[in-house]
Amino acid sequence: MATDFTVNGRAVSSGADADTPLLWVLRDELGLMGTKYGCGIAQCGACTVLADGAPVPSCSIPVSSVAGQRIQTIEGLSPDRGHPVQRAWAEIDVPQCGYCQSGQIMTAAALLAARPDPSDADIDAAMRGVLCRCGTYPRIRAAIRRAAELARAG
Amino acid sequence: MSLTLSRRAFLATAAAALVVPFTVRGTAKVASQPTTLNAYLRIDADGAVTIISPVSEMGQGTHTAHAAIIADELGVDISRVRVTVPQQPAPEYRLFFGQMRSVGSFGVRKWIEPLRKSAAQARTVLTQAAATRWGEDAATLTVDDGAVLDPASGRRAAFAELVADAALLPLPEEPALRPAATRRYVGKAVPRIDTAAKIDGSAVYGIDVRLPDMLHGAVRLAPVFGAEVDSIDAASAPGAIAVAEVPGGAVVIAESWWKAKRLADGLAITWKPTPHDQVSSDDISRRLRAGLDADSAPAAVTRGDAAARLGAAARVVEADYEVPFLTHVSMEPITCAAQVSDSRCEVWMSTQGHDVVREALEAVTGLPAERIFINTTYLGGGFGRKTHGEIAQQAVLASRAVGGRPVKVVWSREDDVRQGQYRPAMAARLRAALDADGRLTAMHARLSGPMMGREYAHVTIRDNMDFFSHDVLRTQKYVASDFLLDHHEVPVPPSLCPWRAVSASQNGFFLEAFIDEVAHAARQDPLAFRKALLADHPSHVAVLESVERRSNWGTPLPGPNWGRGVAIVESYGSRCAQVAEVEMVDDRPVVRRVVLALDCGEAVNPGQVETQMVGSVIDALGPALRCQVTLRDGRAEQSNFDDYPILRIDEVPQIDVEIVDTGAPIGGVGEPGLPPTAPAVANAIFAATGRRRRQTPLGQA
Ligand code: FES
Ligand code: FES
Repeated sequence: MATDFTVNGRAVSSGADADTPLLWVLRDELGLMGTKYGCGIAQCGACTVLADGAPVPSCSIPVSSVAGQRIQTIEGLSPDRGHPVQRAWAEIDVPQCGYCQSGQIMTAAALLAARPDPSDADIDAAMRGVLCRCGTYPRIRAAIRRAAELARAG
Repeated sequence: MSLTLSRRAFLATAAAALVVPFTVRGTAKVASQPTTLNAYLRIDADGAVTIISPVSEMGQGTHTAHAAIIADELGVDISRVRVTVPQQPAPEYRLFFGQMRSVGSFGVRKWIEPLRKSAAQARTVLTQAAATRWGEDAATLTVDDGAVLDPASGRRAAFAELVADAALLPLPEEPALRPAATRRYVGKAVPRIDTAAKIDGSAVYGIDVRLPDMLHGAVRLAPVFGAEVDSIDAASAPGAIAVAEVPGGAVVIAESWWKAKRLADGLAITWKPTPHDQVSSDDISRRLRAGLDADSAPAAVTRGDAAARLGAAARVVEADYEVPFLTHVSMEPITCAAQVSDSRCEVWMSTQGHDVVREALEAVTGLPAERIFINTTYLGGGFGRKTHGEIAQQAVLASRAVGGRPVKVVWSREDDVRQGQYRPAMAARLRAALDADGRLTAMHARLSGPMMGREYAHVTIRDNMDFFSHDVLRTQKYVASDFLLDHHEVPVPPSLCPWRAVSASQNGFFLEAFIDEVAHAARQDPLAFRKALLADHPSHVAVLESVERRSNWGTPLPGPNWGRGVAIVESYGSRCAQVAEVEMVDDRPVVRRVVLALDCGEAVNPGQVETQMVGSVIDALGPALRCQVTLRDGRAEQSNFDDYPILRIDEVPQIDVEIVDTGAPIGGVGEPGLPPTAPAVANAIFAATGRRRRQTPLGQA
């Protein structure tokens, strides 16, 4: 049975088995390769996407569970890297290998949507689910603070 | 090195194969083809400059450094520079040991001169082409922003208009370089050229490769290291397009990876017994410890007579250390896409080991090197693990099993953690002789464990000296005379693979933890003790003084359970000192701050040097505190980030970096920041508690 939902504003209908993780539907069926696989067990956050605005590990939720939901991936965050989080990420030059960064950016975007002026503790709590093997964490912290400023400035 | 040697060959092969479709802009003067000027440089029809870089981009920032070097020397804006990696290894791209590999922190220090020279050659012939066209003397012309300029007349010709003529001119062997004062990028914190693609999801890693008609492969590999397949029942994977047997296991091929993965998990496969089916980490540890007790072992370095000095010493300091297996857990798992026919083999992968992969592909296909093509994507981290070639063989065998259709094989995280290719488990016993005045006069370092260089056919272990096992100890500068380094070899079941900083990571721990004990035995401040012994080495002293000053060494810490520890390790041509501040919380070390100084000679991109230092410390802290791979019943006990827990954002200490320049030759950056962290933390734990922890991970008492 097909699962209907939207991805980045576009209606999609996935014919994958109901228990297929959303991650593999996004990547192998829809060709949205920006969302990454890192662990498959909700430990690393590389696969984070937004479901109705909330960050979820797409590796660990079956596609059937997102029926009717709005899914947003890194490809849909902005058409031009203009989201405040992306602008801050570019300004601070956050990525190294870059592999974890879609998950970092989507998680940070959700954080700022919920808390426009996050404390250090808020940042830790929101971001601790997303691993970065290259150790970009200090720049991620700085970039989230910068993104909050950019968002406030409009 | 001759840059002219294989220029024609490149015109014929690499350039042609590498070219992506492009549109010709409508002017008759513009070359209609990308023009390869030498082994490292191509100028495209639109004037964009493409560097053919010998180094993969795996996060270390080398491509940005290469772009900066070329942009400065050629005279173009860095935004006009692209970086690609050649499809075929060639002599111009190989390191001194005859292999093209992105290893050894060589990315910038090894290639800065060849790249600069290649850009100077290109600039020279482009300028000459303009001079000929205008009937001017080349010496009167300059370059500016991708064009040759005649300051006298104001005439200007873009490189794209000149490149076809320039390509016909002979390349000068020793082209003049531009004055350093003209440089806009080298020496400055230039933003990475790959950032845009890495913040919008468009950067393509090996795992993202998509090819027409491509199938997906998941693996099922022997849980016991090195076990061979006994039987496979392909009928147990109904719905699989094919099941390809590969060394040690099988690739199950299906229309999607998820389907392939589930079929692989359910595959009925058995393996033959091995001699180490019951081996545990305790067994290995016992063997390593026995090697420390052996009466003698083959010597790798013998200077003077350490044994005699130790026998006659007023005091002998002795300590044993041990480290476990470690794995790399690159964020992007191991993956490769391949398409193979009887006459051609092509792979797409995130590799840092091009010649290793070529050799692996030659072996599995029987094809000659010129029929093998390796397309290098971004690497989602490498850390040494992506130097190996077995994944390329698996992908080729999978493609062959489906009649030559392309297949992308992706390992799960569990495959990555359990399949070995680890940093070796090692033990060391260090012994130091102190004279009556507390002076260090002799040292004996005994290693016990595998000799990692044996993993590589091209490595010659000469006189028992193995770079893959003996770095840092081999070159230690604390004892000039009367030093013995010997190594009792203990083979281990898992295969081994260079891990960031290779043997400097464990040997730096052994040596720097031990020197701290020697300083304590001599009743001296550990930092002052090091400075005194290293007084003849100004770069060592400079980095030590930087961390001494910036850590407020010797001043009180916030509480009684706090301690500071120092370590200094020279590796990959750079010196790095660190002071760690540790607070013991319920007997558990919490690292609060790390103060780091690096002397890497010229810092081509200081911004990226800083991120490499910060990243190295964070990388090192996982294994220093808690990560390890342990064996039980011949297999790894860990499988994913839940039981191999690298650091999370809320655990990262304050990290303060200073780049110190003492005029030393350019050194490496990707690795030297890692080795000092674990011993600095170990020494801080001692300072806080008065008790030594001599085994990593240090988090357990
Ligand atoms: S891949 Fe989903 S959390 Fe790691
Ligand atoms: S940038 Fe490499 S894993 Fe985060």
